[in-house]
Amino acid sequence: MNNILFQTENLNYNNMIDFADLKIEKGKVNFIIGESGCGKSTLLRLFNAFLSPARGSVRYNGQLLEEFDTLKLRKEVSLVAQEVFLFDASISDNFKQFYEYRELDVPSDEIISKMLKVCCLDFPLDKDCTSMSGGERQRVYTAIFLSFNPKVIMLDEPTSALDEKNSISVISNILEYCKENNIEVIIVTHDMAVRQQFDGNIISLERCVQ
Amino acid sequence: MEGATTLSIAQFSLIYLLLLIVLFIMKRSKIDKTKLLIIASVRMTVQLVLIGFILQYIFANPNPLITTLFLAVMLSFSIHRVFSTRKDLNKKFKVIIAISLSISGLAVLMYFVGVVVGKNIFNPQYTIPLAGMIIGNAMTGLTIGLKTFMESIKLQRRKIDTLTNLGVSPKNILKPFVNNALEASLLPTLNSMLGMGIIFLPGMMTGQILAGTLPTTAIMYQIAIYIAICTSVCLSVFCSLNFGYRTLYNEKNQFIG
Repeated sequence: MNNILFQTENLNYNNMIDFADLKIEKGKVNFIIGESGCGKSTLLRLFNAFLSPARGSVRYNGQLLEEFDTLKLRKEVSLVAQEVFLFDASISDNFKQFYEYRELDVPSDEIISKMLKVCCLDFPLDKDCTSMSGGERQRVYTAIFLSFNPKVIMLDEPTSALDEKNSISVISNILEYCKENNIEVIIVTHDMAVRQQFDGNIISLERCVQ
Repeated sequence: MEGATTLSIAQFSLIYLLLLIVLFIMKRSKIDKTKLLIIASVRMTVQLVLIGFILQYIFANPNPLITTLFLAVMLSFSIHRVFSTRKDLNKKFKVIIAISLSISGLAVLMYFVGVVVGKNIFNPQYTIPLAGMIIGNAMTGLTIGLKTFMESIKLQRRKIDTLTNLGVSPKNILKPFVNNALEASLLPTLNSMLGMGIIFLPGMMTGQILAGTLPTTAIMYQIAIYIAICTSVCLSVFCSLNFGYRTLYNEKNQFIG
């Protein structure tokens, strides 16, 4: 039981998607794969209580998700969604604004640069995010989430806007960072190349849409 | 001072001739709104003639019950107007808006008529026209405030979702939207306060002056009514949004729209 991060039972969302019972282990990289529309993103949103199931249960560290304070849970189990949002401002202003929302002190420039490097970005911190490409914005977004050092990070298609070579170096850097900082990682991806490149659990979602 | 010259029907009808100019320009400029112009003019005439007779009757036979009834009709009409412009409000939000508009409008009205002017608040000659201005403007402010609020939370869905995923409380996420909407709803009133007396002579003051009131008295009423309007807009939008935004999420801090 101790090595199980998430466990689901008879999980159903909105009376539309049934999930086969699954376990997500600690200490391993967990890849969630499956056809589009099979509920991969929904599953992540159920894990951080962004959504609630219609039936069934999710356990996090052995405890039912309903028993958690959702705000604390989401800080601990961070979901980097596919839909990127950045403020129309520079990189450092973005960090500043997100940290203000979290009511935390803004990290130093060194830490911000380090987090950008983890995501394979080498930009001056005053670079305007509005002039970046989709892939660059996606990586700044991920860097911000990672910088909060959650206990679990769930990445939903983190490399959808990148080519294969870049995808692999970004994921490999992120995994290394997470290992050093004891962050559990769950990655939803449909990218075969990425999945084959890294060791880890593969959780395949069957198409169970009613 | 001389009171307003009573208009005979024949004299009054002459003003409609001006509409011919508008019609002519519309035709020339191929603006396809001639039908609307005619409907709008006819509706305005019929509505105002009716209300003119009703008010004349009420003023001649003052009765607290009728004044109250009149206020109730005014309030329900304005609440209905606010709802009809927004189909995306949930039930609780609507109740909050109705209560906020009613309480803010009536409180400001009572203060104006009862405390400042020092008349009985059931005195129809004061209460009804002032209520119309106060509640009507609160309604417009509320419409602008709600439009700004609801549209910006729809437009900025990604921002809201991102902050939710970071564990930020819905209160902290939505408060800036509430404040922006409040600001937007106050701007038209503040702008007209800025331009008043220089760019235009406001309607109420013009009316009083035509009716023979001393301009110095008319300006006092005008200033008073604008401050009252500003307050009722501010209060009704503030209360509606500050209590209303809480209906948009549940106890699990999930947005329920």
